[in-house]
Amino acid sequence: MKTPLLLGALALAAVPVLAQQKAIPADSVRTIVLQEVAVVTKRHDHQQHLQNFYNANQAATTEELMSRMPELSFIRRGSYGMEPTIRAYSGGQVSVTLDGMRIQGACTDKMDPATIYIEPLNLQRIEVQTAGASSMQGAAIGGSLDMKLAEAELSDERKLSGSVSSGYQSAAHAMLGGLRLSYATPTWGLRASSTYRKAQNYRNGHGEKVLYSQYEKANYALNGKFLLQEDLVLKADLIIDDGWNIGFPALPMDVGQANARIGSVSLVRENSDRRWSRVEARLYANRIAHSMDDSARPDLPVRMDMPGLSRTSGMYLEGTTSPGHHQQLTVRADASASYLSASMTMYQEGQTPMYMLTWPDNRQLQSGIAAQYSFQVGDKTQLQLNSRVNLSDFAITTGEGRSQLSVFGYENTARQFVIPSLSLQASRMVYKKLKASLSGGFNGRTPTASELYGFYLFTQFDGFDYVGNPNMKSEKSLQSEFTLSWQEPRVRLQATGYVSRVQDYIVGTYDPNLSAMTIGARGVKVYDNTPYALLAGAEASAVYNITGYTQLVSTLRYNYGRNADGEPLPMIPPLRSITSLRKYFGDNLWVQGETELAAAQNRNSESFRERPTKAFMLWHLRAGYQRETENKVWQLNTGIENIFDVHYREHLDWGRIARPGRNVFVQVSMGF
Amino acid sequence: MKKYTWLTLWALFLTTLLFTTSCDSDDVAPMPTVEYKKLAEGNAAGSDIKVELYSTEDLATGYNQLYVALFDAAGKRIEQGSVSLKPQMDMGMMKHAAPVENPVSEQTKNGYFPGAVVFTMPSGEMGSWTLGIQVQANGQTGTFTTPVTIKEPATSRLKSFVSKTDGAKYFVVYLQPQKPKVGVNDIEIAVYKANSMMDYPAVTNLSLVLEPEMPTMGHGSPNNVNPTHAGGGHYKGKANFTMTGLWYLHLTINDATGEAGKLHFEVNF
Ligand SMILES: [Cu+2]
Ligand SMILES: [Cu+2]
Repeated sequence: MKTPLLLGALALAAVPVLAQQKAIPADSVRTIVLQEVAVVTKRHDHQQHLQNFYNANQAATTEELMSRMPELSFIRRGSYGMEPTIRAYSGGQVSVTLDGMRIQGACTDKMDPATIYIEPLNLQRIEVQTAGASSMQGAAIGGSLDMKLAEAELSDERKLSGSVSSGYQSAAHAMLGGLRLSYATPTWGLRASSTYRKAQNYRNGHGEKVLYSQYEKANYALNGKFLLQEDLVLKADLIIDDGWNIGFPALPMDVGQANARIGSVSLVRENSDRRWSRVEARLYANRIAHSMDDSARPDLPVRMDMPGLSRTSGMYLEGTTSPGHHQQLTVRADASASYLSASMTMYQEGQTPMYMLTWPDNRQLQSGIAAQYSFQVGDKTQLQLNSRVNLSDFAITTGEGRSQLSVFGYENTARQFVIPSLSLQASRMVYKKLKASLSGGFNGRTPTASELYGFYLFTQFDGFDYVGNPNMKSEKSLQSEFTLSWQEPRVRLQATGYVSRVQDYIVGTYDPNLSAMTIGARGVKVYDNTPYALLAGAEASAVYNITGYTQLVSTLRYNYGRNADGEPLPMIPPLRSITSLRKYFGDNLWVQGETELAAAQNRNSESFRERPTKAFMLWHLRAGYQRETENKVWQLNTGIENIFDVHYREHLDWGRIARPGRNVFVQVSMGF
Repeated sequence: MKKYTWLTLWALFLTTLLFTTSCDSDDVAPMPTVEYKKLAEGNAAGSDIKVELYSTEDLATGYNQLYVALFDAAGKRIEQGSVSLKPQMDMGMMKHAAPVENPVSEQTKNGYFPGAVVFTMPSGEMGSWTLGIQVQANGQTGTFTTPVTIKEPATSRLKSFVSKTDGAKYFVVYLQPQKPKVGVNDIEIAVYKANSMMDYPAVTNLSLVLEPEMPTMGHGSPNNVNPTHAGGGHYKGKANFTMTGLWYLHLTINDATGEAGKLHFEVNF
């Protein structure tokens, strides 16, 4: 199926699979496939693809790719380490996993979301699930984001392949280097990749350098696959990700070192003749070390060092079976243990160092059982039931930690949470190719370590020190989602609306009796459950293949949130749309024009001192050229982002820091 | 074959359980070992009782816990008797005493008669201290007097103020916390009034307001408990420290008629 859309060996692109629909798609799952040779497995052929235009800038980071998905936004504190949000849910409300593995950030300021440990070069696909479908991944109220790792391949013939790539982006004078080597045999395969990035301070739309926006990182990934039996595969993964000198212009501190070690072993049995057609068991462990300080910042009365460490180990077991005709059941059991600690030491000349635990040493044990059951009722209707029961157990592990928290009168710091979730989705072809899906359900999430145990965590966003509260209840959500989609080979349209009521919404509440620890902080907020919050929104997307060589892709999204007092919630992205038109000139050259439009956000949260954000419109131009020689594939990607050098910021950007201005990028790669 | 798969899966599962449920490390504080240092010894004049004076720390301005051991002529420890402490500073032009806490029981505790002296200034050019130990045991009475050297500690543990309500001079000493930690700390202070140069009774009717502050950062701490009288002029409360470093414990001292004075102790850890 070699169409102009399939860009050959190095096209980080997805195949729009329109053919042979096996079942009616579950609309709450969005996937972008980024495999070098797009392999769409049987499990995912029914999912929506807003393919090529996602990663038209091949020097882009994983974060930049994801920010183009209509469901995702990023809270930006610097040009690196942006925090993913799904719709308007963030932090502990969403489940972010790396190939099903839990990774707890080691930074009390959320500088290290799990999304930074994977590079487009070792990313196979991104799966975003909203509403109830996310309960397979974890207890979350805002959906899940799972990044699937690229895997080694097996091949009938022994085969060595690889790629070398290099890129440059002008706004930040950023350099990128990538290397991939794969070796395949009939019974085993290895895949190794590494990416190096170095970015200087970028230039904004006014031509000014944005100080402390630089970063440097190296990522190494190794994957091995061994065929143990005809249908049984052993897989092993190792990721080493080291970042250093990472600036955070919107925060008072930068990151000196951020090191991640992520490893896993798994067994997968895939055999459609067996009762359990697919069974996967995985054992994983990771260790994240993070150290931030303010040594790069000038003229401070107090110098701070804030190291943090997180260790997680866990496992999951997942199996898929068909209990009857037109039925599919996937069951998953998972468990993990995370240990967290973080501290702060402040130095002032002539004074004893001031030391405290910002995360008193704590651990979280969690385990859950989840099931997804799909039932094809007749030709036109499909039902899907998702459920999960999650048990979590939080505790402070050292006397020192308990002693510290006793300052707030917290005597019992150990907490257990049982979180059930259940959702039902019904889909039906209502008219010709028009399909409607309605889903509803409830779910919940535990408070995070910061929300339970945080000790004077300064938040630059509203200028308050935040203190945890081990007496909090879990956050619960009742939600409903409605999707209409129209699919035919040339046109695909989809619109989704959702609404959810979040009970016991967790928010920091100002406590005037507490005095702020951080110099210059406005006061202290203690996390607590507030009665409720209401979140709603909509996404729409359109893919129109005007001719075989011209394609229009457009997405639109809107989010709305308010608390029980009717006040807007903070960090709600405004109406936003991305439209791109791509034209192929023959099989080797394409050009894509793109506009990115964001409305003003005037529904800002006064109590968080959030300010309105202006509307903006950006124009981008991208092009790709590919040339195949006998045994090599050369590829050139280039373009200009923000052509008109617009000075803008997005609503979720902290500290009113402007985004990059005009950015010319170029990337060359050679694959063999 | 199928069995083999499931066995592997279960093995994986159990391994995970094992290494995810590793036990929490709990630091156990070691038992403090008290070491008595002998400061002086000699016969109580007018008796054949031998007096030995001990303390656990070097004597310093502020509250000093002292331990007196008595021995009879045969060198046998005397377990019952009465001991009173009579500190005196000779400043040339004048002499003055200091607040004391005499052993409350006539029975020794671990072989010692425990008492305390609040030395109000360090030894030096201003004058020198002697400590008289008057003993009464085995039907004998005598006094052993020894010179003592009082150092000025790095952080002051004694404060004084002239009361705004009655014009008298008051001494306030810091007893606890000796090992401050981040967390809730038991705080103990004692207050004495200078009735004359020789009479320093404990003051028992004050109400104190405690306010910890980190002066270099300008913040305080939550949930402190104001010290209240706990007997013998000692006041006990709770001071909370949210981090290590230099703290001020601000105390406002009120008597029945109003605010008598204000002072602060430094805690640096
Ligand atoms: Cu950090
Ligand atoms: Cu402080």
